[in-house]
Parts: sequence; C-alpha cells; structure tokens
Amino acid sequence: MTEITTTDGRWRTRDILVVAVIAVAFGVFFWAFGFAWSALGFLGPAVNLLYGLWLLPALVAPLIVRRPGAALFAELVAASLSAFLGSQWAVDTLVSGLVQGAAAELVFAALRYRRFDLPVVIAAGLAASAAAFVHDWIVYYGEYAPDVVVVIAGSMAISGLLLLPAAAILLVRALRDAGALSGYSD
Amino acid sequence: MIAIAPLEAAQSRSLLGRTNPLVKLGLAALWLVGFVVTPRVGPPLALAAAALVAALLLGRVPPVSVLRGLAPLWTAAIGIAFFTALFSAANTDPAARVVLALGALRVTDGAVADGILLGARVVAIAAVSVAFARSTSPTALVDALVQQARLSDRFAYGALAAYQAVPRLSLDLAALREARRLRGLRGDWHPRLLVALLVLAVRHAERLGLAMDARGFGRGPRSHFRPRAWGPLDLVVGLGGVALLGAVLAWA
Amino acid sequence: MGGTARGGPPAIVARDFGFRYARAAEAALEGVDLELEPGGCLLVLGPSGSGKSTFALAVAGLLGGDVPGLVAGSLRVDEADAGVVFQDPDRQVVMERVADDVAFGLESRAWSLPAMRARVPEALSDAGLAGYEAHLTATLSGGQRQRLALAGALAPRPGLLVLDEPTANLDPAGARAFVERLAAVRAARAATIVLVEHRVDLVWRLADRLLVLGRDGRPIASGPPGAVVARHGARLVTEGVWLPAAVERQLGVAVDHSAQPSAVGAGPPVVAASGLAFAYERGRPVLLDVDLHVAAGERVALVGQNGSGKSTLARLLVGLLRPTAGRVDLLGDAPHRLAPADLAARAGLVFQDPERQFLATRVADEIALGLTSADRARAAPTLEALGLPLASFGARSPYQLSGGEQRRLSLACILVREPRLLVLDEPTFGQDRLAVDGLLALLRDRAAAGTAILAATHDERFVAAFASRVLELHAGRLVAERAP
Repeated sequence: MTEITTTDGRWRTRDILVVAVIAVAFGVFFWAFGFAWSALGFLGPAVNLLYGLWLLPALVAPLIVRRPGAALFAELVAASLSAFLGSQWAVDTLVSGLVQGAAAELVFAALRYRRFDLPVVIAAGLAASAAAFVHDWIVYYGEYAPDVVVVIAGSMAISGLLLLPAAAILLVRALRDAGALSGYSD
Repeated sequence: MIAIAPLEAAQSRSLLGRTNPLVKLGLAALWLVGFVVTPRVGPPLALAAAALVAALLLGRVPPVSVLRGLAPLWTAAIGIAFFTALFSAANTDPAARVVLALGALRVTDGAVADGILLGARVVAIAAVSVAFARSTSPTALVDALVQQARLSDRFAYGALAAYQAVPRLSLDLAALREARRLRGLRGDWHPRLLVALLVLAVRHAERLGLAMDARGFGRGPRSHFRPRAWGPLDLVVGLGGVALLGAVLAWA
Repeated sequence: MGGTARGGPPAIVARDFGFRYARAAEAALEGVDLELEPGGCLLVLGPSGSGKSTFALAVAGLLGGDVPGLVAGSLRVDEADAGVVFQDPDRQVVMERVADDVAFGLESRAWSLPAMRARVPEALSDAGLAGYEAHLTATLSGGQRQRLALAGALAPRPGLLVLDEPTANLDPAGARAFVERLAAVRAARAATIVLVEHRVDLVWRLADRLLVLGRDGRPIASGPPGAVVARHGARLVTEGVWLPAAVERQLGVAVDHSAQPSAVGAGPPVVAASGLAFAYERGRPVLLDVDLHVAAGERVALVGQNGSGKSTLARLLVGLLRPTAGRVDLLGDAPHRLAPADLAARAGLVFQDPERQFLATRVADEIALGLTSADRARAAPTLEALGLPLASFGARSPYQLSGGEQRRLSLACILVREPRLLVLDEPTFGQDRLAVDGLLALLRDRAAAGTAILAATHDERFVAAFASRVLELHAGRLVAERAP
C-alpha cells in the first residue's frame, strides 16, 4: 500500500474553504439572529458583555485549521459578508474585522502557531477584544466620560477573557464530537 | 432567505459601478478617518449627503434601494446619540447648562452636542456603506484584490465561493429551526443551532473545495476572465473624493 | 447505444485497485480490475456504501492531497485532465454569475481571454444553458445548476468526464434534461465518461460497460451491460442494485403491488385541509383551494412536479406554515397554533436531507431531544426497530453515520413519539433497493397500526408499491385523486 497525503503545512483548498464557509455561517447566523442585537442595543454599554460573540470567527477558525492567517482571514470574510449583506456599519465593520482578526492572529503567531490550548485562546480572545475596544473607543466612545469608558472596557475584557474563549472552545469541541473535523489535526 | 443583493446592470455600468473597488474602499476608509477626527457635525453630514448623491446619481442606485439600505440606521443612530448624550464627559462639568435631568443623571447641552455629533457620524458611516455596497459587487472587489492589490487568488476566490453558500446556509438554518419545532422543542433559537449550522458549513466547504480542486483551482497561475485595469475614472473619483474630504473638513 | 469508441489504448486501466481512507477501519474499495476504451462510457452501480464515489474520485485524480488515504494496486488514467460533476447542485457553484462560473476552470488552466470568451458560450450551449451567461447562479433551479456544473466541467475540453450521482438531488424533469445533455456528449465521443448513478432507467442506454460494486467495496461484476445482466442479474437484485424496469421484468423481479386500499381508511381523518391556500409573497400563490384528508391507516402519495407545491403542502399539514386562506385541521386543532410539544405528539415530518434535521452530536442525545418521560421509554426500541441499536450507535455522531443510517435515524426521531400523522418528503431519493424495501415494510407496519401516512414523492416505483391513494398537485391545485 502506498500512502498519499500532503503534509507540507501549506493551506489546502479545503482549509481555505472551511475557514471561509464557517465565517460565512457565523455571518448568516448573526445576521438572522442579529436583529435581536439591535433591539438589545438600547441597553447601552453593558451589551458589550455579549460583544465577544462577534469575535468568535477569529478564535474558532485557528482552532480548527491551525495555519497562519486563519484568524485574520475568518474575520475579514465575516466582516466583508456583513458589509455586502447590507449592514449599516459596513465599511466600519471591515476596519473592526481587520484589527480584531489581526490582534488574535498576532497572539497565535507569537507562539509560532504551535500552541492552541486554553491560555493561548484566552490571550487571543483578550487581544481581539482589546483591539475591538480601541477601535470602538476611537470611533464611538471618544466623547464618553472616563468612568463609563472604563465600564465598557471592563465588560469587553470580561467578554474577551471568559465568554469568548469558552464559547470558541465549546463550539470546536462540539464540532469535533460531531465528527465534522475528522480531516483536521486534533 | 438571506442573500447578497446582486448589482443590476445599470449599477455595474454606472460611473461609480465602474470605479475600482479598491479606490472606493480607500476613499471610504479615508472618509471614516475624517468622520472620526472632526469635532463638528457639519462634515459628516455633508459627506453623508455627498455619498448618497454619488450613489443615486453616479451609481444609479434606485432610491428605494438606498432607503432600504439606510433603514437599520435610524435606531442605531438614535440609540448611539442617546447614549452618547447620557454618558458624555461633558456631563461631569459642573458649570455646564443642564438640559435634562433623569434622576441622578444630568444631561448638559455639551452632551447633547456630543450626541448629535455621534448621530451624524453614524449616519455618515451608513451612507458611505450604502454607496459602497450598492455600487460594488463582491466579484469586482475580489477581482481587484487579486489582480491589482496582488492578494492571494486562492484565498480571495475561496472567499467568493464561500459567499455563494449564503442562500443555502440560510435555508439550512431555517430548516434547522423548523426541525426544532417538529421535535417538540420550544422556541426556535438555541446555541446548538450554531453548532448544527457550522457542521453543515464544514460539509459544504469540503464538497465545494473538492469541486474547486476538480476545476484546477490552485494548480498554478490563473488567467483572468474579467481583466481589470486602472483607468482615468479611478483617478478622477479618487482625487475628487480626497479633495471633497479636504474641502469639507477645512470649511467646517 | 450509438457511436463507436475511439479506438487506441485503453483510457482507464485498473489492476487490483483499492483505496482505504485515512483512519478508516476497512477499505472503501478493493480489487477493482477493468479497462475502459477511450470515448467509452462506464456506468458504476452498487448499493450504498459500496465505494462508488471513491472510485469516481480516484479516476478523477482527486484522491490523495485533500483526501488522504492508502492506495492498493494500480489505476492508470490516460487523461491528465478530468471534468467532474458532483451530486449536490448547491455545493459546486463558485461564482455569482453563470459565465464566470463556467470560465472558472479555464482561468485555473490559464487559458487566454479570447479563447475563454469563445469557449464559455459553447460550453453553456452543450449543457443546454445557451444564453444564460449573465444570469445569477443563485437564481438557477437545481437542475440548471447541475447543468451549469456540467458546462464548467466540459469547458476545458477534458478527455475524461466523471460524474458522481449527478441526478441524485434533481426532480425527474431536471434529471431527464441533464441526462439528455450527457447523452449528447457521449454521442459525440468527445470524452471518456465514468458515471455513477442510481437512476438506471435514464442512463442505461449510455453505458458501454458496467462496473457493479458490492457492499464491501469489492466488484460483483464488470463488463458490457448485456453480459453482466445475463450472468449476474439475479445477484444484482438481491444485492440491492437498481436495474432498469425492463430488465427487472425480464429477470422476473416481482413488482410489489401489495399496497391495497386499507380497510382502516374509512375512519375519521387524522388531518384534513379545506380551501387551503398559501403564498410566500403576496400575489404569488403556491397553493390554491386545496381540499384533502388523510385517515388513520391510509398511505397517501402526493405527486407533482417541482414547483407544484408539494413541499409547501407538507409543511402546512404539520403546522410549520400558517395558511394564507382556508384551514388545516389536525385532530381537532389548527397545527400552526399548536405548541411544539403538542404538535410533535400528533404529527411528524421527515425531510429529504437528514443532516438538516440533526440538532445534537450524539445519536443518544438526538433521539432523546424534546421527549417527554412517557416517550423516553420508546427511544431504545424505536432505534432497535430501525437497525440502530442504542448500544452500538448511542455514542456515535449522527453526522458520521452512513446515508442510509442517517435517514433511519431521522425517521426514528419522529417515530419515537408515535405521531398519528407521518409526512415524508422525498423519502427514497438516492436510496438503494434494500433501503427502500426496508422503508416500505416499515411504513406498511405503521399504517397497519393506525398511523396516517403521506409521502410527497417523485418516485414512481415507490408510489406503486406504497400508496393506497395518490393525490396529484399541479401548479398549486389538486388536480387528481386516484388509485396508484
């Protein structure tokens, strides 16, 4: 018997598609579900506790396809999809997606894409949330009183520290249990 | 069903439609910076108006389409304006004139001005977004990114192929929600739906990836069925957009 | 069987060829020996799980790389370039517009622009989509999408065309249109063709050679169709392979007409519709003025072309949609008003694609979803009855079951509540004979026990074997009611 596989660490077509379609699925799910988000919007800054959910693609993608660029690519695809679907934030979403994806990517890159365990996921979650916070602060919260800004920063940090990594890990574990990830390294 | 609204022929042949997506994107980003740095309400609103005029006249976007694109904007704009006014740093200034008092919270006129500023900013972002989205097709953007920005064609066309999954995935999600009802489960939203949808997404990706490989994807350098080249229109629109930004900011 | 093969050395030579997927316990394919002349058409048949798709992928050169595994023996394919058409119309579209999608494969092969511009309309014309260049791919029907995939596969003028169940998800009209195009390709002997198909009635005449694989992935027979049927015909039938109706009659395969009008049918209806109308959008009605009823123990088939409203009607009867006009009565209540738990106790609907109905990641969890304590006791026996005993299947993921097992699981999840009404949407699509026979037996038992059963289906053979009554929908109206 001869073995035929390629293991040169390059992105295979199917890796690219898996990240892209997962990002699209997140986009579709949030779009369908997201009008609830707008309704919640009037709750104000505390709604940022849920913010972590929008950053899920940036963590889920690298956990599944452990190759350089997964986080950034996933966020860009999800962000550009929401732009084309007609999000009123469209252009701004692209900027957010870029910085959030890049921040998460930097964390994985710092570890040379060799570690994908809990501390790394938490660090990436925190980095992505921090990037999101900085972006939002510049664009939306510049006029806010400092103590309110701190509350927002705090809730986004909690989101990025706890909610986001937990959700990402649970999602990927559920996918693995479902057997959907049999083509990928464990 | 969720789908990316396609560009009609009129829109893709219009001036704005033919302008390079990278130029439009660059202008949008630049204008976004403009919106953020200016402390005055005038510039964002003026640029928003300019964007909408561009969309309607230069982009031949039907007014109905523009209105629909702007529809989600109003709740967001009002919400953000409200919260900005409520939480503005200006409210802590003891000397400022109080416009509204809600229990322990005071809203000063400075805060109201801040609120209006943010509202204007949101309007401007939305207007530019509509102008961009309704004059640019994802295909045109990906072509420009690959041919002119020299990004990886495998990733860019991979993403474009993934976009084609949107209608199917939205139908899948609808089917899963129906399945919940058929199984006697209350409510048709549940986090588990995300898991199920992601499994279907991975399946879709694997099949689609195989189909793309079967068509020679990633085999080597690609030729282009829709060749793109820079043109004078891009220069005109680009410079015009920058000039307009500068003028509006300077005038304010 | 028109046209002669091109002559010359064989286009495909397999010698004891086999393949085992990475991490699989057993080989998917073993011991395949065959030769196929250039321009010839090989039809690959076999029950579910027989490795047909694996063989198609191997011939197309797609194994290895993205599909890791171990190869045994040798497979020599003379053509470097293969065009492939897969079975899911939704999962092959790559671009927004038809012309771009067809050109995609040409771009990948670095064709010049003038050559592409000339070739795209030709390929579309060969696929029966002449003039569709500017159409949005998202607006095409399933049948059109499959023909688009064919155009894309044919565009680079490959010497080899591989098709893996291309009509599996198409209605009869779409399937016929597709096979017509394929027949034209074959008549022109433009390419060597390897075709995996269940719908043998449509494609039998195209085959120069057959390869029949058995459940274990080993070939049962290979050779010209006439010879294969003569030597192995009876065995093919017992192995669950579909053969054309004419051939089956010749072999003396009994056609099952045991669906007698049930005596139980005289009772009160379990579900009834009166004046039922439905439109997804204003002014575009999908159903008009439908009156029907299904009584306990009846087995009713709902037939009609795609677009006639069958799926919509099925959904209305089980309360997934609210009627635009008229009423549906399900055991005394309007189903769309019922709470999910009440609804599930009374009626169930099983869709064509099981994977879109799974909501859990373990079979044990899937069956238990939404069950009341009364129903829970039935979970294990229901699974057992459908060949999915909890002991061996409970911990497995629904998504990793075979196609047949998935269908039985989605059926089990509905049957566990013993609903009074069971509705099935295209229950036999892509199924081999044994699976269909199993389903028929199950439905007969359920009907005998008093369940009202309605199946929306295109499958004529199934209708003949299953139904005691046939309702025909045409453009949203019930136009006929007859015995099968």
